[in-house]
Amino acid sequence: MNRLPTQPLGLCLRAALVVAAAVLASGCAFDGPMSTLVARSDLNRSILSVYRIITWATVIIGLLVFVILAVVLLRFRERPGLVAHQIHGHTALEIAWTIAPALVLLIIAIPTIQVIFRTQTAAAPQNALEVRVRGWQWWWEFRYPSLDVVTANEAHVPVGQPIVFVMEGPDVIHSFWVPQLGGKRDVVPGRLNRITLTPEHPGEYWGQCAEFCGASHANMQLRVVVDEPAAFDRWVAAQKAPAPEPSGDGAAGKEIYARSACVGCHTIRGVSAGVLGPDLTHFGSRTLFGAGLWPTTADNVAAWVKDPPALKPGAKMPNLHLSDADSKAVAAYLVGLK
Amino acid sequence: MATHEAALLRHEHAVHAPAATGVWSWITTVDHKRIGILYGVTALTFFAVGGIEALIIRLQLARPNSTVVSAETFNALFTMHGTTMVFLAIMPFGSAFFNYMLPLMIGARDVAFPRLNALSYWIFLLGGLFINASFLVGAPPDGGWFGYTSLTLRQYSPGPNIDFWLLGLQILGASSVMAGVNFIATILNMRAPGLTLMRMPVFVWMSLVVQFLIVLAFPPITIGLVFLMFDRFFGTHFYDVAAGGNVLLWQHLFWIFGHPEVYILILPAFGIVSEVLPTFARKPLFGAPVVIYSGILIGFFGFGVWAHHMFAAGMGPVADAAFSIGTMLIAIPTGVKIFNWLATLWGGSIRPTVAFHYAAGLVALFTVGGLSGIMHSSPPVDLQQTDTYFVVAHFHYVLIGGSLFGLLAGAYYWWPKITGRFLDERLGRVQFWLLVAGFNLTFFPQHYLGAIGMPRRIYTYGPGRGWEFWNLMSTVGAFGIGLSVLLFLVNAARSLRHGALAPADPWDGRTLEWRTSSPPPVHNFDAIPPVYGRDTFWREKHGDSRGRKPTPLPPRPDPHGIHMPAPSFWPLVTALGIVITAAGALTHLAVVVLGAVVVLVGGWAFALEHHRNPAHVDQVGNLGVDHRKLAMWTFLGSECFFFGTMIATYLAYKGHDKVGPHPHEILNIPLTTISTFDLLMSSLLMVLALHAVQRGDRRQARMWLFGTAFFGLIFLGFQAWEFTAFVHEGLTLQQNLFGSTFFVLTGFHGGHVALGVAMLLTLGILDLRGKLAVQDAPRVEVVGLYWHFVDVVWIVIFTVVYLIP
Repeated sequence: MNRLPTQPLGLCLRAALVVAAAVLASGCAFDGPMSTLVARSDLNRSILSVYRIITWATVIIGLLVFVILAVVLLRFRERPGLVAHQIHGHTALEIAWTIAPALVLLIIAIPTIQVIFRTQTAAAPQNALEVRVRGWQWWWEFRYPSLDVVTANEAHVPVGQPIVFVMEGPDVIHSFWVPQLGGKRDVVPGRLNRITLTPEHPGEYWGQCAEFCGASHANMQLRVVVDEPAAFDRWVAAQKAPAPEPSGDGAAGKEIYARSACVGCHTIRGVSAGVLGPDLTHFGSRTLFGAGLWPTTADNVAAWVKDPPALKPGAKMPNLHLSDADSKAVAAYLVGLK
Repeated sequence: MATHEAALLRHEHAVHAPAATGVWSWITTVDHKRIGILYGVTALTFFAVGGIEALIIRLQLARPNSTVVSAETFNALFTMHGTTMVFLAIMPFGSAFFNYMLPLMIGARDVAFPRLNALSYWIFLLGGLFINASFLVGAPPDGGWFGYTSLTLRQYSPGPNIDFWLLGLQILGASSVMAGVNFIATILNMRAPGLTLMRMPVFVWMSLVVQFLIVLAFPPITIGLVFLMFDRFFGTHFYDVAAGGNVLLWQHLFWIFGHPEVYILILPAFGIVSEVLPTFARKPLFGAPVVIYSGILIGFFGFGVWAHHMFAAGMGPVADAAFSIGTMLIAIPTGVKIFNWLATLWGGSIRPTVAFHYAAGLVALFTVGGLSGIMHSSPPVDLQQTDTYFVVAHFHYVLIGGSLFGLLAGAYYWWPKITGRFLDERLGRVQFWLLVAGFNLTFFPQHYLGAIGMPRRIYTYGPGRGWEFWNLMSTVGAFGIGLSVLLFLVNAARSLRHGALAPADPWDGRTLEWRTSSPPPVHNFDAIPPVYGRDTFWREKHGDSRGRKPTPLPPRPDPHGIHMPAPSFWPLVTALGIVITAAGALTHLAVVVLGAVVVLVGGWAFALEHHRNPAHVDQVGNLGVDHRKLAMWTFLGSECFFFGTMIATYLAYKGHDKVGPHPHEILNIPLTTISTFDLLMSSLLMVLALHAVQRGDRRQARMWLFGTAFFGLIFLGFQAWEFTAFVHEGLTLQQNLFGSTFFVLTGFHGGHVALGVAMLLTLGILDLRGKLAVQDAPRVEVVGLYWHFVDVVWIVIFTVVYLIP
């Protein structure tokens, strides 16, 4: 009837080859900074132990179905002399393919249930460090009640110590997610959710809000920095220190900051005590700002202070119509808050 | 009387006259085939709109830090893409086939309620236009198709965007439930002689399961939307954390609907494939009863697994484990279907038509989506996959690889029946392979993107995460899909003009629709063909497994002649009224009132225009009950879920108030006991009224009908008095959770009583005008069923709200 490619199997194989070649060419790496398949905590190791079993089980079943389908399509194509057998069913066969998937599911279900109860019910160990996570539109606040430290968008935790992240939702639902350290957990207003995990390797881990939370959902990123214990202690000491006094441009910036609307939302210990925006006492010590968007440089901060909603859709921080000079001064002050 | 007979004579003529043409004939049509075509064309149009939205989304994501659209536009685009594809494209595409094919496949002349069918369509069309009108006023919905609170509360979404969405979804839900009730009555009650339930084609079976899912799953989301509407418009506290409300309530209500909705979208496709594969393999469906039972099981389990969408919300390990196991169980009946389809093909003689290509494509591609679904049935794995592109890949394999491929299989399969012409097979194959390639290039890489951490619903992303290359490929693939859809439209347009003419039975089919001409006459069959087993038509042509050909039974002519329903414009008027009311909610109270008046007038005219038409008298079908009673029972099943959801919410929120007045301080039990007694007595009068009508005792009938209505009015009077007293004592809708839940629950019940009173008064007036005779008793019985149900609901409310401390 026509000469177009009608061999599904042949085409599928060709397509598979093309895809495989493309995968090789692009270097399909599984170790990106947001990869869920890299385990850097006990939690993600547990998750990946189940993940591996399920992946193999589903891949094998999938291949089985594909092979049977291919055989059927090639073998039972209409041709002279081929008669369709009028079979209505086969009870034993049907019972078999009802029980077989049930058995496979058992293989998946058992480790699933074990990991659920291992990772979710274990009471936080005595030496656990509690980090309170607050998801705001569109930034992260981290409070360490036992250490009396508050920071934003960049949490530091010590390696090898159990950490309990406790989620508190002040506005809409967000989801706290640092893929290499483990699965996500929603930040739900009116609830306290938690994740317990022990980071196993020092390093800087990327994360991002995973529940749609409005205009700048995409711009709600974070970092968790896992430090060696000594480095963590130094970080805590630095965070507890009072805000450093500025000099030069920074001194002018402090003055502008103190008489502007900034103080209504932000805390800089000794200067202002706002609670709606990030605590800026040690703003300059963070490598990124704007919820993981830009490196903390004087130029970047000046541009942000000048017109936040232009840089971050929906930003709650208004354009205060500061002059270029004033913006630069405030930026110098903030960047100096190491 | 004379006019009615004249009208009837006209119908008799209409049967053998050529079908009416012109726009007006389409606007007033009640023919299931025309309504099916309207559904199909509308669904394709909305599908194109949703597809363009998807292409803009893909353009934006093709490169990092792209600025094709703003964040706000992007959020509106993915919200409307999801909403459009689910409610305005895939669901109505299925409805197109339900409408056109179900009556043909069961050997009926139309659906049980042809005008209700038209009403469903017009409400759907106008509801879809209503939601999309939001683009014209620059306020498209932007809270996601799932509309999670608190983001969708007025505080965080102040504009009318979410209002368009929540009003539109309520309108569409009404349309779906009406259609569901209609199809259930049609399938159960209007089958050809000998077409027992287990002999029904699998497509009919899957459609039946889908209708039950629609009828039972829409009430919970309707209640969820009602709560959201009250929170946004009237300041109630259903989702207000500060007042003690729980934002997860919305997620539960949404997903109790949302998960069955997945099966509402996929089961019609499963049904189509179960028809297409046997036809082109020239073999009976392997293990048809098992395929049917597995479909029923999928529908049944579908109600028990909603919380697997909420593993990240922190429900605790026990709930996580339970919902995980339940979800895994669904894989068993689903897998059984796949294996039965493969076994159907095994040993066959396969004719690889385009329809077959799509059916086989579903078996392959849905398997991918089903297996990735099993992956996130495991909560630990889900916590890494949920809200990433892995899930986007998963459900597009289910909804495109499954639903859309199945629906396209149906389109190519039934096109000759519907239009009388073939689609071009050659172009169809090009279109198929282009779709396969484009689809897999778009969505297979998204598994990988999700695994390396790309979240959903982000309007942009930075470089350095390894996401760039496959996002670009995904966008390229998406345009491949777009091109393939264009080719389908070209194929359809060419076929309508130049397509080869199709005979009645172009594919050597197995089911009843192939017995009538292509396209079928207005009345479908000159005589309803009798059925004596599965694949009767095939066996008549080719013999059974041993080659024995049964002697065809002679078709039985209709004892009363053929009566086709007369056209009506009241469905459109009523639907317009509903949308005017919704538009009023966004503009001015006067518009709401106008809309309500139009609905009332339209509804009344609708209910009474064919009163006394003999075609409407004898409606007892296969189940031995009147269509109207069957429909009312089905509707009341839906109502059980409606009130059940509201009562459950009341109980869940009981005692969570932050401020008084509390129930025990304010509820007046003695007074309510009297009104309860009054309502119970009205049920007694209703029984007397029905008996009087059945006896033909007009004096008594009138007395008891008005008596019942009067008792109903007394109850409403008590309720008005009670509400006023409560407001004086400081309990308002806005006061606390108790106020919100109490007034909404009892208010909705009061609304039901008021509707019942309206129906009773209508019956009473009919009686006064001498139009309520013995043969009209089923009407009174149906109203009586409704009335008793409303009374029973009150007993539950009285117990739960007033008596349980």
